[in-house]
Amino acid sequence: MDGTAVAATGERHTGAAPRGRPRRRRPWQALIWLAPALASIGLVYGYSIYRLVMEATHREGVGVGLGNLRIAIDDPFFRTALGNNLRLLLTLPVIIAVALVIAILLHEGMRGWRFHRVAIFIPYMLPVTVVGVLFGELLTLHGAVNSTLQTLHLAYFSEDWLGDPDWALRSLAGVIIWRELGFGVILFLARLLSLPGNVFDAARVDGAGWFRTQWHVTLPMMRSIIGFYLVIEAITLMSWVFSYVFVMTGGGPGQATQVTETYIYQNAFTSDIPWLAAAAATLLLIGVTAIAVLFLILRWAYGRRRAA
Amino acid sequence: MTSLTPTWRRLVAVAVTVLAAAACGSSSGGGSSAAKTNGPITLTMWYWGQQEAHGLSTFLADSVKKYEALHPNITIKTVLQSTDNLMPNFAAAAKAKKGPDIEYRWGGIWTLQDAWDGNLAPISDYIPASERSHYLNASEDTWDGKVWSAPWYVQPSFPILYRKDVLARAGISSPPKTWDDFLSDCSTLRSKGITPIAGGVKDGWFGGWLFSILGSESLTSVDELKQAVAGSKKFTDPDLAQWWTRLGQMISSKCWNDDIGSLDLYQAQQTWVDGKSAMTVTAGTDVRKFVSQVGGSKVGVMTMPTYADGIGAGKLGSTSQTLAISSWSPYKQQAADFIMFMHTPAELSRFYKDTGALPADDRFDASEIDVPQVKQLYDYSQNGAPYLENFIPTDLDSKANFGGVQLMFAGKATAQQAAQTMESDMERIRTIQPDLIDDFKKWTGQQ
Repeated sequence: MDGTAVAATGERHTGAAPRGRPRRRRPWQALIWLAPALASIGLVYGYSIYRLVMEATHREGVGVGLGNLRIAIDDPFFRTALGNNLRLLLTLPVIIAVALVIAILLHEGMRGWRFHRVAIFIPYMLPVTVVGVLFGELLTLHGAVNSTLQTLHLAYFSEDWLGDPDWALRSLAGVIIWRELGFGVILFLARLLSLPGNVFDAARVDGAGWFRTQWHVTLPMMRSIIGFYLVIEAITLMSWVFSYVFVMTGGGPGQATQVTETYIYQNAFTSDIPWLAAAAATLLLIGVTAIAVLFLILRWAYGRRRAA
Repeated sequence: MTSLTPTWRRLVAVAVTVLAAAACGSSSGGGSSAAKTNGPITLTMWYWGQQEAHGLSTFLADSVKKYEALHPNITIKTVLQSTDNLMPNFAAAAKAKKGPDIEYRWGGIWTLQDAWDGNLAPISDYIPASERSHYLNASEDTWDGKVWSAPWYVQPSFPILYRKDVLARAGISSPPKTWDDFLSDCSTLRSKGITPIAGGVKDGWFGGWLFSILGSESLTSVDELKQAVAGSKKFTDPDLAQWWTRLGQMISSKCWNDDIGSLDLYQAQQTWVDGKSAMTVTAGTDVRKFVSQVGGSKVGVMTMPTYADGIGAGKLGSTSQTLAISSWSPYKQQAADFIMFMHTPAELSRFYKDTGALPADDRFDASEIDVPQVKQLYDYSQNGAPYLENFIPTDLDSKANFGGVQLMFAGKATAQQAAQTMESDMERIRTIQPDLIDDFKKWTGQQ
């Protein structure tokens, strides 16, 4: 617990505990207060997960154990979709690095920072469908992006951004980065604003330059929020990109932008194979849960190391 | 026996009344028409088609108004569906057994997959044979001795529209009829800076159209296709794979617009309206709209130029867009009555006037067709060919046809690879959906 607090804030809280008569702990009282929330979580998530697992392990009402999951794993379309999710995951360092740099620049009061802050956050406020339709138009072969490149005598760089299987996923990733960046910048900026200024002053007095200050002072104090954003974005890229794909490419050309969510959706609602959709959803749930658990373990281990 | 006190008598009377009311309620839930005719009824209809038959929403709104005036106890709510959501929304409704009473369906397997899953009630149980005998293309929607959806309007599938003025600009006096003429015209048009034919495959659907249009030319019978689905033939067999080769020829001859991969079909058609391309492919139901946009004297209608003499050569596919009744609807007879109402002569006439599409009913008076290009479609539809997309599993269509065509246009797959992928995709479906294949075989008489 202490270690986590240290990791989260970068500071040690050493204030004395409040004095007074020690209060008797009654665990059942806490449970009573928590019961409504636990019940609603249990109903909403627990039951859904139960139904999902039941559907994933049955076919035509007959239990098949892990058979459906095996079929999903062996299905080349599922593998392609999962592979595309993992490729999207590669954008994670880019999203984090760019968001961090922008946040630091804004924090340091770059010229027009208020305008830039709003401009960077606006994409995140736009509905994904709007973003998808907009970029769907901009990225056509004769769309605004290629027209601009031509005007700038950079036609060599123009591509069929969404129509070429080699480019479609990259284009999609670019749009996702563009939109998701805003959330990261605001998150990092909020953390930066809460950092104690005297630490930076001390670094400056000690002769640390800009880069050294960021690397040795800012980044360590931002670690927990970076970790949080990393997990949120990892989950987004694994299981929250459906709208981008559905609106911009529909999973094509061919299977070039198919992701696990569209695979699940198509099997459930257009291909009429609900058990395969459930099996894929179960695998996705396991994968995403593993990411979250891994993060918690790493955080816990780091906290322990710091505490030691 | 002791007599009951007045209080008890009243209580018993109330209990009996409540029980009787409950009994009436449960019997009316079973779909008895007589029991429900007088009570308030709300029918929900999910439809599609405004996208391809402009004016359909207007027609439907008026039809509903008239029908409700004739049946004051009935209210009909209509909900327009998007192309991508038509099937998924109904699938979700079917899962919950809650949703529309009347559902729009495309013909053939697009209807029957839901019938096999128990999501539809056979319309032949509610619409008499004497009425159904007037409906066009109902055979596509027939399985197990029952008709599962009622043809609503005909979809001549799919004509090529050409611009006489644009062809003339390139010195071409008549539209191509044979394959060689077509490829030659592509070169001529290209040399004049004109896109020969405009299409869009970004959303995939046009891939299914191309499969049906080109694929039917090399088949001697639609049975070949059905056998390939069942596994006794292969999609790599020459008759079934040749259309990929022809598509490849079109691509290498630069017949299509270069941005076909990044546009939807409807976007691409606009370039034809703007006079930037000489030809485009369209839904037959949309022809009147394009004729009015461009001008009757400039527009011609033709079939895909022929490369073989199979069932679809020189013809259009003949299929009907349909209306089905969901299996969970408590008002099946009322739903059927409304469908029949839309087949009354006055409504058939108004359907054509509002939409420019041809009602799927032989009682429609063809002399009302006032646009020569639509009359030409009517004539084609009298001698149509089977529409292939209606005879393959929808999953095969969306993966092999939609995806394969996209990859060929992107230059990432050859005709041989596309055919091979189609066969392996079909093999996958046979493995993971054996029940679907069993139903398919029963439908097509292969079992």
